Amino acid sequence: MNGFVAPSVGGQLDVLLPYLVVAVGGLAIMLVDALVRTRRRDHLPFLTLLVLLGSVLAQLARSGGEEREILAGMMTVGDYARYFNLLFAGCGVLTTVFAGAVLERDGRGRPEFYPLLLFSILGMMVLAAASDLLTVFLGIETMSLAVYVLAGGVRGDVRSSEAGFKYLLLGGFASAFLLMGMALLYGFAGGTAFSDIAGALAAREGDLGLAMLGGGLVLVGFAFKVAIVPFHMWTPDVYDGAPAYVTGFMATAVKAAGFAILVRFAWLMQPQLAFVWYPVLAGLAVVTMTVGNLVALAQSSVKRLLAWSSIAHAGYLMLGVVTLISPATGGSAQMVLGREVGESAGSALLFYLLAYSLMNLAAFGIVASLGSREGEADDIERYAGLSRRRPVAAAVLAVAMLSLAGIPPLVGFMSKFYLFSAVVRAGLVPLAVIGVINSLISVYYYLRLLVVMYMKKPEADGYAGHEPLAVGAAAVLAGLVLLLGVVPDGVHRAALVVFRQMSF
Amino acid sequence: MTVTLNHCLGLAAVIFVTGMAGFIVRRNAIVMLMCIELMLSAVNIVFAAFARQHADAGGHVFVLMNFAVAAAEAAIGLAILVEIYRRRRTVDVDELKTLME
Repeated sequence: MNGFVAPSVGGQLDVLLPYLVVAVGGLAIMLVDALVRTRRRDHLPFLTLLVLLGSVLAQLARSGGEEREILAGMMTVGDYARYFNLLFAGCGVLTTVFAGAVLERDGRGRPEFYPLLLFSILGMMVLAAASDLLTVFLGIETMSLAVYVLAGGVRGDVRSSEAGFKYLLLGGFASAFLLMGMALLYGFAGGTAFSDIAGALAAREGDLGLAMLGGGLVLVGFAFKVAIVPFHMWTPDVYDGAPAYVTGFMATAVKAAGFAILVRFAWLMQPQLAFVWYPVLAGLAVVTMTVGNLVALAQSSVKRLLAWSSIAHAGYLMLGVVTLISPATGGSAQMVLGREVGESAGSALLFYLLAYSLMNLAAFGIVASLGSREGEADDIERYAGLSRRRPVAAAVLAVAMLSLAGIPPLVGFMSKFYLFSAVVRAGLVPLAVIGVINSLISVYYYLRLLVVMYMKKPEADGYAGHEPLAVGAAAVLAGLVLLLGVVPDGVHRAALVVFRQMSF
Repeated sequence: MTVTLNHCLGLAAVIFVTGMAGFIVRRNAIVMLMCIELMLSAVNIVFAAFARQHADAGGHVFVLMNFAVAAAEAAIGLAILVEIYRRRRTVDVDELKTLME
C-alpha cells in the first residue's frame, strides 16, 4: 500500500458544495419521507425549497470568476457553470411551487417527485460543468432518467405513463447514438477529456473522419434532448401527456441544460470542424423554427401549442449556436473580431435561455393552476372568457404569450433582439431574416390564445381552477419578464462576462 | 487469425445496426428496449477496443458506467411498462395512441 495517494478534494470542497447540497438533500428527503409517516406531505416541498436555496447560497458564497478544472479535469467550474446552476435552481423552485399546489389540489401523493426533481437538477448541474465525455454522459443520464419518471410517474394516469415511456424509448435510442459518438471521439483522441479532444484536433493527429462522425453522433444526441427537428417527434406527445408542472420543467431546465453542453461542445469543436457542421446545423435551425411555428398554428391543445412553440424556440437558440461556430468567429481564440462575434452570440444565447425560462414557466404555471382534479386545462376553446373568471391568471398568461411572441417591451423581444443582432454581426443576414419572419408567424398563434381569453364569451365548461400560490409565483415571473424587458442591460452584460470566462 | 481493431469495430457496427433496425421495425415495447440494450452493447465493444488500442483505462471505466446506466434505464422502462400493461393490456407501441391527435 506504499505510495498510495487518494486524489484530494481539498481546496475543491467550496466549489463542490452546491452539487453536494443538492445530492445529499435529495437523498435526505427520500429518507425523511420514508421515516416521517404523516397523511399530509406538506413538508416535502418546503424541504425541497430549502435544499435549492442552500445550493444557491453555496453557489453565491464563493467568489466566481475564471474557470478552473476540478476532480482531475472531470468538471470545469466557473461563472458559466454558475450561471446555469442558478437558472436550474430557479426552475426547480418554481416547479416545486407549482407541483406542490397542484398535487395538493388533486389529492395525489407523489412523494418521489421531489427527490427526483433534485436528482435531475443535479444531473443538469453536472452537465453544465462537464469537461469530460464521461461527466457529459453521467450528467445527461442522471437528468434524463429522473425526468422520465417525473413525466411518466403519475400513478393511474395512462397518458402520463405513455408519455414517460415514449420519452424513455426515444431517449434511450438517442443516448445510444450519443454514446456511439463518444466512443468514436474517444477512439480519435485517445482520451475522454475535452482537453484531450481539443489537443488531438489542434495537432490534427489521428483520423479526422472518426472525429467528424463521432462529433456528429454526439450532436444528434444533444439535438434530441433540446428537440431539434428531425429529432423532435417525442416532444408534442410527451409535453402533452406529462402533467403541466413537469412539462414546464422539461421545456425550460432540460432545454437549458441541453444547450449548456451543446454550446460548450460546439465551442470546443469549432476551430477545426466547424466547416462540416456549420451548414448542417444552419439548415436544421431554419427547418426547426419553421416546422415548429407552422405546426403550432394548427394546434387546438394549449400544451401541444406550447410544445411546438418550444420546438420553434429551440430553432432560434440553434441559430445562436450556428453563429457561434460560423466562419465569422474563425478559430475562436485567434481573431479579435471573431472572438467578439462569438461572445455576442454566446451571451445572447445565455440571455435567451433565461428569458425563455421565465416566460415559459409563467405560462405552464398558469396552465397547471387552471386544471382540476378531472383533468388539465388543455382545450384552447375552454379558455374563452378567462379574463372575466380569473383576471390575474389571464393577465399573467397574456404577458407570457406576448413575450413568447417577441413583442416589446417584454423580455422575449429583447432576447430575440440580442440574438438576431449577433446573427447579423456574423454576416448571416439571410438566417436573421428567416428568424424574424418566423417570429412574425408565431405572433398569430400566441395572440389566438389572447383573443380567446379576452374577447370570446365565457362558456359553462370553461376552466376555472384557482391556485393562489401558483398564480402568485407565475405573476412574479411575469413581473420579471416585464422588468428584464425594460432594463435588460445589467443581466445581458453579466451574461457577456460569464461567456468571456469560458476558456478554450 | 489475430483479432484486430477493425474486427472489433466491424462486429460493433453489425450489432449496432441490428439494434437500430430492430428498434425501427419491431413494435413490441419490450423488444424495442432490448434493441436499445443491443446498441449500448455495441458501444461497449467500441470503447473496450479503443481502450486496448490506446492502452488507456478511460474506455474501460466508461464501459462500467455504461452498464450501470443501462441497467437503471431498463429498470425504469420496465416499471413504466408494467403500469401501462395493467391499464391497457398491451405492450404494442402502435396501440399506445392516447396521446396522438
